[in-house]
Amino acid sequence: MAVLAPEVRSAAPRWLIRHETLLAAILVVALAILGLLNERFLTIDNLLNQGRLMTEVGLLALPMTFIIITGGIDLSVGSIVGLCAIMLGYSWKNLGFPLPLAIAFAIGVGGVAGFVNGLLITRVRVPPLIMTIATLALYRGLAEGISQARSVRNYPEWFFFTGQGEWLGVPVQLWILLVGIIMAGIALDRTTFGRTLYAIGNNETAARFSGLPVDRVKLVVYTLSGLAAGLSAWVLVSRVTTTRSDMGSGYELDVIAAVVLGGTSIFGGVGTIWGTVVGLVMIQLLKNGLALTGVKGDATIIVIGAVLIASTLIASSLHGRREVAG
Amino acid sequence: MKQLMKHRMMKTAALVILGVAMAGGSAVAADKWDGGDDLPTSPLACDAGPAAAAAAKPYDGGQTTGAPDKAGKPITLVDVPKLIGIGYFNATSKGMQDAAKEIGNVKVTTDGPTEAKIDEQIKFIDNYITRGVDGILFAANDPVAIAPVLKKALSKGIDVVGYDANSQPDARQWFINQAQFNGIAKAMVDAMAKEAGEDKGFAIVTSTFTTPNQARWIAEMSAYAAKCHPKLKWLETVEAQEDNVLSFNQATTLINKYGDKLSGLFGMTSVATPASAEAVTKAGQCGKLAVVGLATPNAMKPYVNAGCVKSVVLWNPVDLGYAATYVIRAVVDGKLKPGATSVEAGKLGKLNVVNGSEILLGSPFIFTKDNIKDFDF
Repeated sequence: MAVLAPEVRSAAPRWLIRHETLLAAILVVALAILGLLNERFLTIDNLLNQGRLMTEVGLLALPMTFIIITGGIDLSVGSIVGLCAIMLGYSWKNLGFPLPLAIAFAIGVGGVAGFVNGLLITRVRVPPLIMTIATLALYRGLAEGISQARSVRNYPEWFFFTGQGEWLGVPVQLWILLVGIIMAGIALDRTTFGRTLYAIGNNETAARFSGLPVDRVKLVVYTLSGLAAGLSAWVLVSRVTTTRSDMGSGYELDVIAAVVLGGTSIFGGVGTIWGTVVGLVMIQLLKNGLALTGVKGDATIIVIGAVLIASTLIASSLHGRREVAG
Repeated sequence: MKQLMKHRMMKTAALVILGVAMAGGSAVAADKWDGGDDLPTSPLACDAGPAAAAAAKPYDGGQTTGAPDKAGKPITLVDVPKLIGIGYFNATSKGMQDAAKEIGNVKVTTDGPTEAKIDEQIKFIDNYITRGVDGILFAANDPVAIAPVLKKALSKGIDVVGYDANSQPDARQWFINQAQFNGIAKAMVDAMAKEAGEDKGFAIVTSTFTTPNQARWIAEMSAYAAKCHPKLKWLETVEAQEDNVLSFNQATTLINKYGDKLSGLFGMTSVATPASAEAVTKAGQCGKLAVVGLATPNAMKPYVNAGCVKSVVLWNPVDLGYAATYVIRAVVDGKLKPGATSVEAGKLGKLNVVNGSEILLGSPFIFTKDNIKDFDF
C-alpha cells in the first residue's frame, strides 16, 4: 500500500494525481458538457433542488465511508431508513408520542439497529456482509410488520420545514448535510478516531496489537450508520409528507456507489470524505443532467454504471502505479 | 465496560422483543379485508342495474398559478405512469399517442421509473418541472407522497391531470377515473360468487396495501360482499408489488397454504392476474380454482381460451390515455373550467364529471371467451 512505499518522485505534485482530484476534474468536465446541452441545468434553482434530493443518500454515505475504510460494509442502511420512518409515524400516531419525541425516538431506533449490527459483528465475529444482509431483511420485515403496510399521513405544517423548507435560500436538509460533511471530514482527517479507522482497514491485527480499541471503534461506526439512517428517515418523511414501509429500499446501492466512486477502496484502508462528496454530487448531477437533456430513465442507469466502472479502473491503475514504483 | 455492554445488550434484546410483540399485536386481523383503505365506501345495489347518480360535489381540484395562455398553441406534455415497461401502461401511452395525433398540436412523451417506487417517480416529475413542460399526466404510486411535487408543478404554471391512480385532489386539476370503484367491486365480487360459489373461501393478490386504486377497490369489494354475498369467506391478502415473479410465488404459496379451503383468487393488478392464473394452471387446479381479476386481454388470452379463467374485468386503458390527453388539452385551451359537468373527448364523446374533479371514463368491461379475441392490448 502507498502508506508503506517510499515517496514517489514524479513531475506532478502528488495531490494532483490523486483519485479524488481526477474525479473532481471529470465532474467539472461532465457538468460543463451537460450545462451546454441544457440551459436549465446549471441554474441555482436546479442545483439547490438537487442538493435537497441528494441529502438522504448523502447522510448515509458519510458513515458508510468510515465503515468501508475499516474494511467492512453495511447493506442494511436502506432497511434501517424504512424502519425509522415507520417508527416515526407509528410512535406519533399509534403510541401518541408528541411529534418532536417521535422524531428523537425514530433516530434512537436507528442507533439501536446500527448498534445491533455492530455488536454481532464485533462480538460474534459475523462477517459484516452476512450480518448486514440478514438485518436488511430483518429490519425491512419489522418495518412492514409494525406498520401493517398502513401509511401515516397528516403531519402538522411545521414538520415539513426540514424536508421542504429553506434557510437563507438553501434547502434546510442541505444545511444538515453540510454540517455532517464538515464533522465527518474533521473526524476522519484530524482525530485519532479517524487514524484508527485507516489502521483497522490497512491491517486489523496490527492495529489490535498496537493497542487500538478496534472493537469499540467498529461498534461506534455501525451505530453512527444507524443514527444517520434515522436522520435520513426524518428528512425523507418530511420531504414526501407520508411514511411508507418500502421507504429507503435500494438506498444501500446508491450509497455504496457514491462512496466507491469517491475513491474509497472496498478492501479498506483508503478513502476520504471529500472523495465521497464528489462521488455523491457526480451521481446526482449526472442523473439530473441526463434527464434534463432528454435521456430516458433506463439509459441514465447505464451511464451511471459505466461511470462507476471507469472510476474503478482509474483508481486501480493509480494504485497499481504506486505499487510498481515502490 | 462489560457491565455496560451486558446492560446495553439486554436493552437491545428488550427493544427487539417489544418490536416483534407490537408487530404481532397489530397483526390481529381487523374485521375488514387487508389491503383496503380507510375511506368511506358506497356499495352498489345487489341486483343488476345502473349505479344511482351520486349527489354533485363542488370542485375540489387544485389550481395553477401564473400559467401562460397557450390556448390553441402547440404544447408538450409528459406522462409519468407508476412504472414503465408493463402492458397496461404501454396501452395508456398508446392511447395518448393516438389522441396527440388526432388533436395535432400536442406532443406527449412517456417516461417513468422502471419499478413502481414513489421516490423515483417524484424525481422524474421534478426533473420534468425543471425542464419546463406545459402539462403533466400521472398515475400515482402514492397519493400523499406525490402531492408536494405536483403542487410545485401547479405553482410553476404547469397543468396537472391524473389518470388511473389518483393523488390528493388539491394536487391536480382533474383526474380521469376509469370506472367507479364500486362498479369494479361489484363486477369482481359478483363474478367470484358465480364462479367459485356463494359460501367459498378466496384470497386476494394485490400490489401493495398503500397503492391508492387497489386499496380503494378492496375496500369497496369488502363492503359490497358484506352487503350482497355475506357468506363469501375472505382468507388473506398478499402483496406482490406489480412484479411477475413475486405475484406467481405469492399465488402459489396461497394455493399450497389453504389447499381445499381456497376456491378463488382475486388478482388486483394487470400483473397479478395472469401470474395467479399461471400459478393455478401449474398447480393443476384449472377449473377447480376460480381466478377473477383485472388484467389486459392479451395477457389473459391463453388462460381464457384454456377455460382456466372465465371473466377478466377491466376498462379500456387505451381509451383512458386517450381521454387524459383530450382533457389536458381542454384545460390548457380554457374549455374545461372548475365547476364544469362534462367534457368532450374526441371519439369517446361526452364524459361526465363526478366527485367534484373526477372525469368518469365509463362502466367496467368484462372480457370473456367470446369477446377477448377482438382486443389486442
